[in-house]
Amino acid sequence: MTAFTMAGWRQSLALRVSAMFTLVVVLAAAGLGSYLYHAFAGEIERRDDIQLLGKLRQVQMLLGRPGAAELLRAQPDYFRDTMSGQENSLVRILAPDGTPLADINALHETYPLPPVAGVVPTLDAIRSWTTSTGAPGRVVAGSARLDNRQVHIVVARAYAERSAMFAGYRRQIAGAALVSALAAALLAALLLRRGLRPLHGVAEHAALVRPGTLAQRLEVKGAPSELLPLIHALNDMLARLQEGYARLSGFSADLAHEFRTPVANLLGQSQVMLAQPRSTGEYEDLIASNIEELERLARMIESMLFLARAGQDEVVLVRQPLQALGELGKVAGFFEGMAEERGLVFACTGDAALTVAADAALLRRALANLVSNAVRHADTGSTIALAAGRRGDSVELSVSNHGAPVASPHLAHLFERFYRADPARSDAEGSTGLGLAIVGAIMDLHGGRASVHVEGTRITFTLVFPAA
Amino acid sequence: MSILVIEDEPKTGDYLQRGLAESGFGVRLARNGRDGLHIAREEAIELVVLDVMLPRMDGWEVLAALRADPATAQIPVLFLTARDEVQDRVRGLELGADDYLVKPFAFVELVARIRTLLRRGPVREEAQICIGDMEIDVLMRRVRRGGTPIVLTAQEFALLHLLARRQGQVLSRALIASQVWDMNFDSDTNVIDAAVRRLRRKIDDPFPDKLIHTRRGMGYVCEAVSAAAP
Repeated sequence: MTAFTMAGWRQSLALRVSAMFTLVVVLAAAGLGSYLYHAFAGEIERRDDIQLLGKLRQVQMLLGRPGAAELLRAQPDYFRDTMSGQENSLVRILAPDGTPLADINALHETYPLPPVAGVVPTLDAIRSWTTSTGAPGRVVAGSARLDNRQVHIVVARAYAERSAMFAGYRRQIAGAALVSALAAALLAALLLRRGLRPLHGVAEHAALVRPGTLAQRLEVKGAPSELLPLIHALNDMLARLQEGYARLSGFSADLAHEFRTPVANLLGQSQVMLAQPRSTGEYEDLIASNIEELERLARMIESMLFLARAGQDEVVLVRQPLQALGELGKVAGFFEGMAEERGLVFACTGDAALTVAADAALLRRALANLVSNAVRHADTGSTIALAAGRRGDSVELSVSNHGAPVASPHLAHLFERFYRADPARSDAEGSTGLGLAIVGAIMDLHGGRASVHVEGTRITFTLVFPAA
Repeated sequence: MSILVIEDEPKTGDYLQRGLAESGFGVRLARNGRDGLHIAREEAIELVVLDVMLPRMDGWEVLAALRADPATAQIPVLFLTARDEVQDRVRGLELGADDYLVKPFAFVELVARIRTLLRRGPVREEAQICIGDMEIDVLMRRVRRGGTPIVLTAQEFALLHLLARRQGQVLSRALIASQVWDMNFDSDTNVIDAAVRRLRRKIDDPFPDKLIHTRRGMGYVCEAVSAAAP
């Protein structure tokens, strides 16, 4: 039950905001009530204190009359009746030595004797006391003359009724705060329900998005401004998803197409061959041809798996400092025979001391893919330039060759899987159409990037390794 | 002494048995792990080719059982896997396998690995290799045919040395790329073909007897013609 409530608290925005709103209303109501109560009570208490001083004054005047001392002695009851007036008034007249001359105390309360504050005491001289029933009381002492004698007058009062009134008042304030809290909670819940309605709209829209309907966007019109950033963010996400999804399904289609050709060849030529009795040589040719197709398929599968794994960061990099120029030389050496047959020459340039932090096998693979491309597409008799250099903190390895110019619209797509600038050359010489995609993936794994740049007939691929 | 192939996939098992037998090995084929383990314990087996995806008792269990039994613990094991996952390879090698191949693999690659495993131990590098009328002085890096010196570049020599060292064995292009150029991935096959053509121009073209032969669909082999099939 507790867990449920806690989960509800954490999950429901409406509940949370309502609760906070209610809390604010309760605090405000309680604060206001408390302020008004204290102001009111303070005023009442001040008026009572002024009345208490008035009583003292009255007693002083009574004692100042001629014959007052005589009256006090001879007819104390009369004096008492004259003085007390109200039942809750307590008056005591003391001789300077403390002997009580009169004590009017109908309730038989005991109250403290405050310091005597002269003939005209101020409000500051008033002290508090508590009756035997727990009601608050106030007391003040002043001096007066009785038959040329200095006497002390103590006047006290108990305010039981006032306390009862204050208590009632406090209850009313608490009740009002409670009612306003309830009203606030209810109102907040209702208002939030209304206010959050656009969110439901967004949710309903979002619920309609399917892989096939990624082109749909959430409605921006009529949405409150607070929701706009969310809606825009969601729409941007949809756009990215749509793009990724389109690329992925395009990729699957391409893949199927790329597989279809070799499989069709395998199937077709094998069936044709089996339809008639053939010579051993013909069978051997068939099998060898089949092996070539199958090797191409196997290479494609290996490349696909590599890309899939690289995309999920499952390839383990073993980075080590490699001599950049040396790596270029190795790859150039690997392709030397093939380049020679096309009359191509490699020119490796760069600082021999330059090192690059990379995975040796992956770096060679990336370079080999670039050089393989260069050898295939370079003009006969031209030079393929391999260069290693430093730019800022990063190390750049580049492969460039002269060849048929690649139109700039193709450049941005060159690193995509199965993208070929020239569709007619799709099956050329064992190319899987994945070489540059693998180069891109290898650079992603290294936290670097691969770029391509065209200048006239010269095309340059650059691998940028950031400083480790 | 023979090689034990434990493979449940019928076609794979059949071609492995046939291919290895034709490569000169005695072959025993088991279609599941339990039979394989039984044969390994009862017969004289010098190497096990083990598929890891087997029914009932999988390859890992077979491997663990082989290593646990003192009678079979020393038999080299080469495992075959279709899932080229790092964990798989690590697991196999940790369990005591000696080598592995990822399907699909070139058959000549398998044969080359098996030969390497069986030859394991101190391999004596010959300082002088003679094939037909060709003499290779490995230390001086000199090559002669019929007394005529042939000048080779460092890489041409490395390629020839590899082919000559393994004379009579068909070497796949991938193996050549890996051993000569340290390129351990399936690259453009034309690269190796071009490199071999270049070597042939110097080694074979000027002479009537050819020593480097293409095995279509498999790779290259270096041998004197008289030693080859009639």
